[in-house]
Amino acid sequence: MTALLLDQVTKRFGNVTAVNDLSFAVPEGEVYGFLGGNGAGKTTSLRMVLDIIRPTAGRIEVLGKAPGRENSADLGFLPEERGLYKTMSAIDTIVYFGRLKGMSAGDARAEGERLLERFGLSDFAKTNVDKLSKGMAQKVQLATAVVNKPRLLILDEPFSGLDPVNQGLLEDEIRRASQGGATVVFSTHVMQHAERLCDRLLLLAKGAKRFEGTLDEARAELPARLTILSREAPNGLPGVARATMAGPAEHGWTAWAVEMEQGRDPGDLLEACTQRGFALRGFEQHKPSLHDVFIHIVGAGEARA
Amino acid sequence: MIQHILLVAAREFRQIAATRSFWFTLLILPVALAVGPLAQSFLGDSDTRNVMLIDGGSGAGRAVAQRIELDEQQRVLGALARYVERYGLESVDPAAPWAQHDRWYTDADAAQFAADGGADAVAKKLAAAAPKGTPEFEAPEANYEIVKTPADIAAAPPAQLDALVKPYLDPPEDSDLRKLDYVLYVPERVTPQTPVRIWSNGRVSPGFVQTVQSVLTGTMRVQYLQDAGLSAQQSVAANTLVPAIRINSPPPGGGREKVLIQSILPLLLAYILLMSLLLSGSWMLQGTVEERSNKLIETVLACISPNELMYGKLFGTVAVGLVMVLFWAVCAAGVAFAAHGQIADMMRLAIAPVATPGVILTMLYFFLAGYVMVSMIFLAIGAMSDSFRDAQSYLTPVILVIAMPFAFIAQAVMSQTGGLAVQVMTWIPLYTPFTMLARLGSGVPMLEVIGAGVLLAAFIAVEFIFLGRVFRHSLLAAGEKASLKQIGQLMRRREA
Repeated sequence: MTALLLDQVTKRFGNVTAVNDLSFAVPEGEVYGFLGGNGAGKTTSLRMVLDIIRPTAGRIEVLGKAPGRENSADLGFLPEERGLYKTMSAIDTIVYFGRLKGMSAGDARAEGERLLERFGLSDFAKTNVDKLSKGMAQKVQLATAVVNKPRLLILDEPFSGLDPVNQGLLEDEIRRASQGGATVVFSTHVMQHAERLCDRLLLLAKGAKRFEGTLDEARAELPARLTILSREAPNGLPGVARATMAGPAEHGWTAWAVEMEQGRDPGDLLEACTQRGFALRGFEQHKPSLHDVFIHIVGAGEARA
Repeated sequence: MIQHILLVAAREFRQIAATRSFWFTLLILPVALAVGPLAQSFLGDSDTRNVMLIDGGSGAGRAVAQRIELDEQQRVLGALARYVERYGLESVDPAAPWAQHDRWYTDADAAQFAADGGADAVAKKLAAAAPKGTPEFEAPEANYEIVKTPADIAAAPPAQLDALVKPYLDPPEDSDLRKLDYVLYVPERVTPQTPVRIWSNGRVSPGFVQTVQSVLTGTMRVQYLQDAGLSAQQSVAANTLVPAIRINSPPPGGGREKVLIQSILPLLLAYILLMSLLLSGSWMLQGTVEERSNKLIETVLACISPNELMYGKLFGTVAVGLVMVLFWAVCAAGVAFAAHGQIADMMRLAIAPVATPGVILTMLYFFLAGYVMVSMIFLAIGAMSDSFRDAQSYLTPVILVIAMPFAFIAQAVMSQTGGLAVQVMTWIPLYTPFTMLARLGSGVPMLEVIGAGVLLAAFIAVEFIFLGRVFRHSLLAAGEKASLKQIGQLMRRREA
């Protein structure tokens, strides 16, 4: 079953097109990354999924239904800009949001207490939010998002502003939710998190989709790069787009930085070298990072935005 | 939807009820009611004026003192007659002047009354015969008290009086002199050429001057008649001739007094509506601003719709207001129950015109409608504001527009001089709840009640549409404070 579907969705604010003809589908159980720079349209897309704003055109399905508060019992949401009611206690805050999502007071309290215990905040359950440290308040906020054990967990820039300990905790929660069968959609511009967590990715720039696929498929978007140690220059070998000297020659062997043609497999180059008797002393393939892929796809200017 | 609204309302209510300012406000009115009269009795200045009379030898000074005493007794007699009429005690002594409340009391009545023991003697007689629970008669405070004239001043020549009386009018701090309000000097012979002098420590009361003037005019008139050849007896008799005056006035609690008393409760209700609205509205506004500034709105809107949030906040605020009003009403009822006599009587008269189911429903409708109407404005302001300072810039003119005319409404209703202006204000929805509540005591035509009520309901419906749009569109907006033009644009925008 498809947990989330966007079909040719467009959102305009006056003359500004925030999301442009965006289509993608997230199968149930998947961890889906929503990548893009600032102003790429990530938050707008997620707000449309949550029915906080309505699309100008296109169709959205959330767990097989139109977006709306009827889905809130199955949804968990952690917004980018976070805050809590300062004068409410930690447990009351979790219970309040649990109840807004349709839980009974008893169930919300029981689950809230379990979450606070898991997050190491049992002793602070009755402490008002304004008396908690920032890190503690962040955990409480996360608890409000997952108190209802959502089938679809939507996280907007969830790692921004978190200290490393809480980043780890959040990663664990995302994995826990995924292992529990939940679908997780999160937006981020920090590629390391996406690399570690996502089954599939969507790259967004200026409101439009630039790429959708797995991490390996994303990497394949970038020409392969490798370093070889040879006596001769590799220029002219099949599949080699560019080769530049990477270091001085030693005992007749020279290090070369090789960039393959788009779509060519470095294994083919190795095979060609063997067949042609092209002497090699070193052959090291560099896997492109998601950051490199992102820069390649959306452009450096867009990535910095 | 209802569950979401109730959850938001309950949270709003709890948040407001958890603040110190809520409890302070809740308790301040009953405390003020309890402490006010006590403080007044301990700290309040007496209204009695201390008067020293210096008689230059004409005997007119003594006549002034007698006049003052007779005026006091007439006043006490009048108050006693109202008391007797109010509690139906005429049968205690039907021939007594205080049992005849349809005439003006003469000097002879007052003198006889004083000679018979005055208010104390009559009060004892009435207390013995009055039914149980009848409050005791309390004589009004005297207007003037004649202070004994010190011998040195009484014997001093007129030229030295300025210096001698000055310390009595403004005694030094360490002095044990009794402070005087007026010192009156009457010369040996009162003529237009020999002035009577009055020293005062402030503005001289016209009543005091009139009393002095009437006595001394009489003295001069007697002298004039004697000089014209009348005997001393005839001259005095001519001066004491007075017409018999019959008076027809409504019984106590009737007429203008009735209108005043019956307007008290509705006016008080209108005032309480205004006060509790401004207070609970500003608390709700603080909550909404907090949700915006704390970046909470998005989390909330992921669970509930903006309309549910809006209605929940309104419900919560109305609940806070109703709890405040209910608490104050219970306190007032407690005071009425605990107090006997005049307060209870006044309460009974005040409640009488509004104690019918129709009027109660009407009051409830206009009270709630007023609450919702103004709270909606506060809510829209809260949704547009990132900070309380932002909110203040919208709030100040709104409060001025809402609250300023209240003083006029109250004054016009109490004095019954509002006429067309108050009627016109009844039809301006922003003022309808206050004006209608204030006017209910003096009676409002049914057609006007229904018409103004329907117009108010329509106004609230329109307000919900347009301010609802401002609320929804402003919740997630960021940036500079919206101008009036931008607010107008928000009102016209339909889609989210």
